Amino acid sequence: MEKSANQLVFSVSDFIAVANQTFEYAYPNVLIEGEVSSFKVNQNKFVFFDLKDSTGSVGCFMTIWQMRVPIQDGMKVIVSAMPKLTQWGKFSLTIKSIRPSGEGALKKSFEILKSKLEGEGLFAPERKRLLPRIPEHVAVISSTGAAGYADFIKIISDRWGGIKVDVANVQVQGESAPDQIIRAINYFNQQEILPEVIVIIRGGGSADDLSTFNDEPLVRAIVASRIPTLVGVGHEIDESLADLAADVRAATPSNAAQILVPDKSEIIRAVRVQVSSLLPRILQIIDQQKQIIKSNLSDALENVVRFIDEKSLKVMHLRSILLQLDPKTILARGYALIRGTAKIGAMIEIETNKVIMKAEVKNVINK
Amino acid sequence: MLSTNKTIQEKITELTKMVEWFDGDEFKLEAALDKYQLAEKLAAEIEQDLSALKNEISIVKQKFDSEK
Repeated sequence: MEKSANQLVFSVSDFIAVANQTFEYAYPNVLIEGEVSSFKVNQNKFVFFDLKDSTGSVGCFMTIWQMRVPIQDGMKVIVSAMPKLTQWGKFSLTIKSIRPSGEGALKKSFEILKSKLEGEGLFAPERKRLLPRIPEHVAVISSTGAAGYADFIKIISDRWGGIKVDVANVQVQGESAPDQIIRAINYFNQQEILPEVIVIIRGGGSADDLSTFNDEPLVRAIVASRIPTLVGVGHEIDESLADLAADVRAATPSNAAQILVPDKSEIIRAVRVQVSSLLPRILQIIDQQKQIIKSNLSDALENVVRFIDEKSLKVMHLRSILLQLDPKTILARGYALIRGTAKIGAMIEIETNKVIMKAEVKNVINK
Repeated sequence: MLSTNKTIQEKITELTKMVEWFDGDEFKLEAALDKYQLAEKLAAEIEQDLSALKNEISIVKQKFDSEK
């Protein structure tokens, strides 16, 4: 650098360096809203686009890894950037972060990313894991100052007890929120004793506030978690990509608490019902047994009576046969019983129904 | 038979099995009253456990606002 007539003379490189120092001092981090145009990615690493409004346009540069949400031409965005003069004298913005701005851009970005991740199978039902029925160790990722967190803690405390709850206090909105949540997910996944479930919760907010949960690296971190995840973000009507990536989606933080643990009062009621149903069941079984015994006795008695009847009938039949064979019955029919030897001159005895006579054999003729 | 060392979940499972016994093939009327009394005790224990348990909530010390 030289001095000429009390004025500094810069070399080109020095001037560029001084200009950049000035920018760095004056605008270390400037937020600019505009519309994206001429968006392109070079070598799958470097992203270039122009940020413009109705009268102005400025070139922007960033790496692909800084682009956490899909960006397209025509999309309204807010960039966090540092102005820079390149060594070729071109003014540009070096982007630190970029996010869609306004409902239309947010929705468009959401749909593009949803379709991409869906295509990769990240939301597929078959990769969803079940949560433990009654967890004993739970990790919660939320802002401890948020109403949604307070609701969640109150409801799980009302519903269940004996759970070890480790809470990672993170920002749940704003530029650094996704990274904080990702670090918390990684933290819990690296613990020696893993929690049984990670719960990520945040209460309601604007579409912009909730856009934290549509951050691609965050969605991938949820998918990659070794620990099953339960995500409850916003209100019932809100749908985030983090919800879709989670193993289980809750409509709200309160709903997450309801899904996570059973209601002890319901269990107490169910236990009472179970036990109180036993005594009537025993009595019912006793009644059934009584009926069976009664019926068996009645069957047995019937069998005995039938047996006796059958035998009685048989005896009667035999008696009638015996009666027919009785000699007195034959004598009563007019026949006579003769005792003695069939020999002329022999004395024989003749017995009729009424008398017994003695007679002498006069003649014997062989038949 | 009842054990205070068991978790609530284990006790609930045990109670469910006891109740199922009443509908199962192994049911014996002679043993039913004893089983019923055991179930009653277990139910009371579960109720007591559930009422007494508190959650242990702790905020982890680790900060997540920047890479370590």
